Amino acid sequence: MSAAPLPIPAGVSGVSAGAPIRQSSLWQDAWRRYLRNRGAVLAGGIFLLIVGYCIIAPIVSPHDPNRVHFPDAYQGPSWSHPFGTDQFGRDLFTRTALGGRISIGIGFGATLAILAIGVVYGAVSGFVGGKLDNAMMRFLDALYGLPYLPFAILALAIIGTVNFWTMVVALSIASWFITARVVRGQILTLKENDYVRAAHAVGLRSYAILSRHLLPNTLGILVITIFLELPGVILGEAFLSFLGLGINPPDASWGSMAQDGRDAYRAHPHLIVIPSLAIATLVLCANFVADGLRDALDPRTRET
Amino acid sequence: MAAYIIRRVIWTVPVVLLVILVTFLLMRQIEGNPFRKTERAVPAAVQENLERKFKLDKPWYVQYAQYVKGVVTLDLGPSLVLRDRSVNDIVKEQFPRSIELGLYAFGWAVLFGVPAGIVAALRPNSRFDYGAMLFSNVGFALPNFLVATLLIYYVSLKWGLLPTSGWESWKHKLLPSLTLGLVPMAYFARLVRGTMLETLQADYVRTAKAKGLRWRRVVGVHVLRNSLIPVVTAAAPLLGYIITGSFIVENIFAVPGIGRYYVTAVSARDYSVVMGLTVLLSIIVILANLLVDVLYGILDPRTREART
Repeated sequence: MSAAPLPIPAGVSGVSAGAPIRQSSLWQDAWRRYLRNRGAVLAGGIFLLIVGYCIIAPIVSPHDPNRVHFPDAYQGPSWSHPFGTDQFGRDLFTRTALGGRISIGIGFGATLAILAIGVVYGAVSGFVGGKLDNAMMRFLDALYGLPYLPFAILALAIIGTVNFWTMVVALSIASWFITARVVRGQILTLKENDYVRAAHAVGLRSYAILSRHLLPNTLGILVITIFLELPGVILGEAFLSFLGLGINPPDASWGSMAQDGRDAYRAHPHLIVIPSLAIATLVLCANFVADGLRDALDPRTRET
Repeated sequence: MAAYIIRRVIWTVPVVLLVILVTFLLMRQIEGNPFRKTERAVPAAVQENLERKFKLDKPWYVQYAQYVKGVVTLDLGPSLVLRDRSVNDIVKEQFPRSIELGLYAFGWAVLFGVPAGIVAALRPNSRFDYGAMLFSNVGFALPNFLVATLLIYYVSLKWGLLPTSGWESWKHKLLPSLTLGLVPMAYFARLVRGTMLETLQADYVRTAKAKGLRWRRVVGVHVLRNSLIPVVTAAAPLLGYIITGSFIVENIFAVPGIGRYYVTAVSARDYSVVMGLTVLLSIIVILANLLVDVLYGILDPRTREART
């Protein structure tokens, strides 16, 4: 280094004239706050670990997840089969990972669909305001807490086939009410900001205001919402599949694996316990991540 | 307040009509109408009579109007599969059991969840608090079919204490209601803890303490009263949880209620039953919301202004 800078006297903070002030964006701040929350970091780590296991295990596993081999049926956990085997002698370590791909995939798919519907409904309601807003919100008030399961079952009956995408539709069809309300609330608050008034004043069109100034600022809330909605959707998929109305063989999800294990749980409880615990762990982690994200992105609502 | 209640009540009517309409239109989309000509060959006259009996020969809006009339007069029409029974018969027979199950589950939740939340809030960051919140988190995450299976496995099969399934004596009702009550319990514990902590920091609580009121009285009169309001308002969303949960719990414990029958009816393509039950459950949730909103206004005067 040539031309060493003037020494800064001790006791004065490290900000020297001319040096750029270290800026930290909203997201960097949030990330820092998140990292300070040990529970949320641990939960996020386990969450990623499960997702990684679901992606990698079927690729590296020496066992063919669909190979039926009856002499190996109903084995308990061992070195070669860490999660044991099912009634057809298929390796559960590999199959649980495959089931996880479908369960988590449907979970994220339906969550994104819920977000999409909720954002459109909430943004229109909050942005247009007035009578339309009133009508749209009274409608949501009345539907609050409507059970999604009957409507999911109905939707599947109508579509007639059960696969990944129809499950996504079925699980999002009656689950977006809360998200819509949250987005609307956020838009209402943001609308009062001076920069939005300024944008109105300089004659920006409504669409531009909505897409450039309002929606980007709901992003934080939406990230939280992803992890708030995910547990419900993953459990919903599991319920549907457990009732025999969801994912069908030869595909498997954690819910349908639990259903398979139901017949033999008296003698071989691991068949139902392993996929159920996979669901429980993922849901537990998602809840902790959601809490951590809420504290990090929206410090005002931090719980005491 | 009166204006708010009236407006809220009036708004319920179009929402109910809309929910019936959506359900009705959804049902019409289902492939495999039991009287489709392709399903089986019946004489034309019989087909005509069948369609007339179930009013399938009219245009859809007439059918819809007639269905709404049926809902209003509490007549949900005949079952398509069980020849001699109407949807009303099925509701009358099965619904009381589901209500009983749901009430017990709610009872467990209030009995354990609310006190757990109160004690946790009074001793924040204590061992009890951590334990209660751990329980709450785990309670949310465990799928109820795992809870049910484990309870049956240990309590019924290993220890032989309670029957595995059925719905006769209190012994049969214990395990299903506990399983179904777990999520509401976890919910109440967390909710009550949160609102209590918030109330404990309120100025009026500090004032009550400062003027020398005994702590027990402060908590009993000022804190509890204000922190338990959310318990009332949470009842409506919890109803949704309980309905969803009852589908699984009734299925596993073989409780002959609505949740179990719904799944049977879907598999049997008994669409009038499916539709009737969907409409019934939706209306119950909508009415519960209405009741809670009105109660909320009465219990917490602060919300009246904001909500009108």
